[in-house]
Amino acid sequence: MQAAMELIDVKKTIGKKEIIKGLSFTINQGEVFGFIGPNGAGKTTTIRMMVGLMKLTDGDIRILGNSVKTDYKKAIAEVGAIVENPEMYPFMSGWSNLKHYARMIPGITEQRIQEVVELVGLGKAIKEKAGRYSLGMRQRLGIAQALLHNPSVLILDEPTNGLDPAGIREIRHYVRRLATEENVAIIISSHLLGEVEQMCDRIGIIKNGEMIAIQAVNDTSEESETQVLSQVKLEVSPADQAIEILKTSFEIDAVLDANKLVFQYEKNNIPSLIESLVKQNIAIYQVEVSKASLEDKFFDLIGENIIG
Amino acid sequence: MGNFLKLLYNEQIKLFVRKSTWIMYGILILLTIGIAALTLIFDKPTTSYDAENWKTELQAENAALEEQNKDGEFIESFNNSIIAKNEYYLDNDIKPEGYGALQFTMDNAPLLSLISLFTIIVAAGIVASEFRMGTVKLLLIRPISRSKILLSKYVSVIFFAFMTLIFLLVLSYIIGAIFFGFDGINPYLVMEKETGLDYVSILGETISSYGYGLVNLVMMATFAFMISSVFRNSSLAIGIAIFLMFAGNSIVGFFSNYSWVKYILFANTNLELYSNGNSHWIDGMSLGFSITILLIYYVIFLVLSWVFFTKRDVAGH
Repeated sequence: MQAAMELIDVKKTIGKKEIIKGLSFTINQGEVFGFIGPNGAGKTTTIRMMVGLMKLTDGDIRILGNSVKTDYKKAIAEVGAIVENPEMYPFMSGWSNLKHYARMIPGITEQRIQEVVELVGLGKAIKEKAGRYSLGMRQRLGIAQALLHNPSVLILDEPTNGLDPAGIREIRHYVRRLATEENVAIIISSHLLGEVEQMCDRIGIIKNGEMIAIQAVNDTSEESETQVLSQVKLEVSPADQAIEILKTSFEIDAVLDANKLVFQYEKNNIPSLIESLVKQNIAIYQVEVSKASLEDKFFDLIGENIIG
Repeated sequence: MGNFLKLLYNEQIKLFVRKSTWIMYGILILLTIGIAALTLIFDKPTTSYDAENWKTELQAENAALEEQNKDGEFIESFNNSIIAKNEYYLDNDIKPEGYGALQFTMDNAPLLSLISLFTIIVAAGIVASEFRMGTVKLLLIRPISRSKILLSKYVSVIFFAFMTLIFLLVLSYIIGAIFFGFDGINPYLVMEKETGLDYVSILGETISSYGYGLVNLVMMATFAFMISSVFRNSSLAIGIAIFLMFAGNSIVGFFSNYSWVKYILFANTNLELYSNGNSHWIDGMSLGFSITILLIYYVIFLVLSWVFFTKRDVAGH
């Protein structure tokens, strides 16, 4: 299957500063890809390059095989996007705003506009001036505008901004539906991993213009289960002696947290670890093993709190 | 072509859905009525001359003007030119036509500078406001080239200028007719031309005075459009364009001792000078020279707008 979007060693230099330092990744059709990173990591710059608002310094971006550099019109015809805030003409109604964008692409019927209005749930508010919309309503109008032409690739930049939990759940709902039912590839950027984690198939973490990790969400296959690090909590006594053993025999830096040792370890190696502790006369009261959440992992990777 | 018309339609909608555009038209209507009322009250123009006694009427008018000249010198030259025109009618035995709708329309030509002002405001905003509102991002991520979007905006500005001009002409004619009555389909009038006094068609004169005014209008609108798309800032574009529109002649006057003054845009925008026989006001200038200079400026303005709009990244604020 052809990739919906393909970034090939994309670089962007502004002035002398390298903002994006060679991004390469692929987004498949029907996949929801979370593009996560702290503010200033280069998410919006990358998205601006995807939609042709900024030129690439080096590399290429292909949308369904069409390069945004050489075949822009063909490439962008398959893309619907919100870039940063969904800014609309405040002096026109939501409906007029949609009509305005509909006129720029051939073949969008009145019926289609009505359809997307219903999909994003704007209802009667569509007749009101966009200037009176709340941020949440503008997000919906922004998504409606991006969906008008049935794009194969949907790019949503911080779509959960300004939405209440109910609104986020709603977005999650139709993002999943678009991906599974209409095979749309969806790229969602956010600095809040927790808000988008549940709607994504894969998560890419960007920091300082570099992709530092790409991770599948809900990956439950046998192989990954054993290799993925699990979070282990041990209630032991004496604790300081146990820490010493973990360090010398297993090269683990455990942290003492509320009388429990906390560390990450591969699940299938835990029994031998416990055996070794018991043999060295450490009393074990409780063992808690949980799969390390993406949050924990990315917290380590990025080394700063982007999870918020 | 079909989608270009849709782009134009979009631009016109965005222009006319705004109150500020309608306020401009309101100002034009009020000013035209005001001018008509003031003309009626203070000028008391003769709207028709008697078929039998028009000669005595003109002689009486001249006598009254001569009388006025004794009181104050400052209106003397103005009055003298009316006296001269009246004598031309008498000498050539032409019955003058009364003041009416078409002549009022011709006299309203200075309002063209107001249209220039409005067009500058529209031109300055049409690109810059998209950047200010942030809507430019959603505008550009369509399967339409940036050049085409820019062209639709420029054509919209010119379209606005012409529409407003036609509005002013029709409005002046209608208000002129209400206040002063009709003066025929193609009335004639004695005017000062390069060869001295001449009996000319008012319609022709109206077309030429508005036509010459259009040159300046289009140049200033294009200039404002250029500043707007280069700096993406409408206040800057309005400010600079209006400043230059009013200060243009002073700038030319200030540098008039230098030979390169003739290359300044504003030394060339008033092509009417050539038809009035003042063609030698700066050495080396002719109608052809001025048109060439105007075209060069025009092309530079458009190329700069195009380069900055199509080549530059649309980055954050």
